[in-house]
Amino acid sequence: MIAIEARNLTKKYKMKTAVDCINLKVESGELFALLGVNGAGKTTTIRMLSCLSAPSSGEAFICGKSCISDPAAVKSVIGISPQDTAVAGNLTVRENLEFMAKIHEFNKEKVNQRVNEMITLFNMDDVQGSRAKTLSGGWKRKLSIAMALISDPDVLFLDEPTLGLDVLARRELWNAIKLLKGKITIILTTHYMEEAEQLSDRIAIMINGKIAEIGTLEELEKISGKTGLENAFVEIAERSKK
Amino acid sequence: MNRIIAFASRNIKEMLREPLSYIFCLGFPLVMLIIMTFVNESIPPEAGMNNFRIDNLSGGIAIFGQTFVMLFTAITVAGDRNGAFLARMYASPMRAIDFIAGYMLPMIVISSIQFLITYAASFIISLITGIELAIGGIASSFIAMLPSSIMFVAFGMIFGTIFNEKSAPGICSIIISLGSFLGGIWFDPDSMGGFLLKLCKCLPFYYCTKMVRSSMVLDFGFEKFILPMIIVVLCAALMSGIASLVFRMKMKADLA
Repeated sequence: MIAIEARNLTKKYKMKTAVDCINLKVESGELFALLGVNGAGKTTTIRMLSCLSAPSSGEAFICGKSCISDPAAVKSVIGISPQDTAVAGNLTVRENLEFMAKIHEFNKEKVNQRVNEMITLFNMDDVQGSRAKTLSGGWKRKLSIAMALISDPDVLFLDEPTLGLDVLARRELWNAIKLLKGKITIILTTHYMEEAEQLSDRIAIMINGKIAEIGTLEELEKISGKTGLENAFVEIAERSKK
Repeated sequence: MNRIIAFASRNIKEMLREPLSYIFCLGFPLVMLIIMTFVNESIPPEAGMNNFRIDNLSGGIAIFGQTFVMLFTAITVAGDRNGAFLARMYASPMRAIDFIAGYMLPMIVISSIQFLITYAASFIISLITGIELAIGGIASSFIAMLPSSIMFVAFGMIFGTIFNEKSAPGICSIIISLGSFLGGIWFDPDSMGGFLLKLCKCLPFYYCTKMVRSSMVLDFGFEKFILPMIIVVLCAALMSGIASLVFRMKMKADLA
C-alpha cells in the first residue's frame, strides 16, 4: 500500500525553485530517506508533505488524502519532528507528551496510556520529570520524536533528527528510530551519509531541488558504479550537475 | 474546546515557570506601588495632590500591571513563532481559533491574578496609611478591569504576531510608556487640561485608568464610569478582532 505519493511537486519562492517537480512513492512501513546537501530542498519537501507549506504546483497524498484539498485529514495521520527541537521548554518531558496527546483530543485514559508507552519506548523514565529546556540535545530530540509519535500517526516526518548531536547521542537515536522501522512509514531528511545508510530502506538523492536518483543502497551503488553511499552520492551529484 | 484548554494550560505553565514573568508582571508593579506610596507620604497635604494616594494609586498600578501582561503575551507569541514550536503545532489538528483563545485566555487569567495581588498589597498599604479602601470598590474594580485586560492582551497578541522576539518587546515598551503617561497613571490629565488632556482622550489608556479609579470609589456616573467603560469595551472588542485577524493572516502566510 502506498503511504506517501508526490506527483510533480514543486515549490517556488519568487525567482528560486526550492523543489522542482519531484515524483515519489513511499510504501507503507518503509523508512525513506531524503539525502542531500544543505539547500537541496529536503526540508521544503517535508514541509509540503506535512501541509506546512503549499506547493506551487503538483500534488501530494498521504495515505490517500490530499495535502492540498484535505490538509485537516492529512494532519490527523501524520507526526512531525522539525529540525529545531520544537518542545515547550518550561514543561517537563511528561507534560510535553501529555500536552501533545491532549491536542489530539485523547481522553484521560488514552493520554496516560500513550504517554507511558512513549516514555517506555524512548527509555525516558529517568527524565520524565525534568523540564525540557534542561535536557541534553539527544534527549530533546528523543522527546521531539516521542511528541510526534504520541498521536500514533501512520506517517512520521523526521527532519534532520540527529543534526548537531554527538556520536553517542546519534547512535542512541538511531537505535530508537530502528525500533520504529516497519511499524510506521517514516520519511527522514539527512545530509549524513552514514545515517541514510544505517536506517533507510530506500534513499532519494536530492540535488538542487530535484530528485536525482531513488533506490536502495545497492541500487544506488549499481547506478553510480561506485561502492558505498558517499561515493555513490558524489558520483550521482556530479552527473546531475553536468 | 479540549485543544484550547490544552494549549492555554501549556501557556500558563510556561509563563508561571518563567522567573521574568514574576519580575515584570508582579514585582515591578508592586515596587511602583510601594515607591509611589512613599512619594505620596512626602507630598505636603497643602499641595492638594492625591494622585498617589492609595485609593487612586491602586487602580493606576493595576492598569500599569496590565501593560506588562501585554509585554509577556507578545514575548510568548513571538517566541513560539521564532522557534519550530508553532510549526509542530501547525502540523497538528490545531485551528486558528484554538491558538488565539489558547494564547489570550491564560493571559487574562494572569492579569486577573495580578490585579488581585496588586489590590491585596494596596489593602495592606491602606491599613498602614489609614486611608480606607472599600471592599465593594475593589470588587467592582475587578470587574471593571476585565475589558482593559482583554485590550492589553490583544495588543500583545498583535505585536507578538507581527514582530519577532527582539522587536516585539521594544514596541511593547512604547505602549507601556504611552499607557502609563497618557493613561494618567502618574499624573491627573483632567487637572492639567489643554493639549495634553486632548491627547490623553484620543487614546484608550486614559479611559482604562479613569474607569477603574471611578469604580474603586464606587462612582458609576456617566462621565466618570459609563462613557469610559463603553470606550474601553469597544477598544477591547476592536483590538481582539484585529489580533484574531492578524494571527489568522500570519498563519495563512506561514503555511503558504
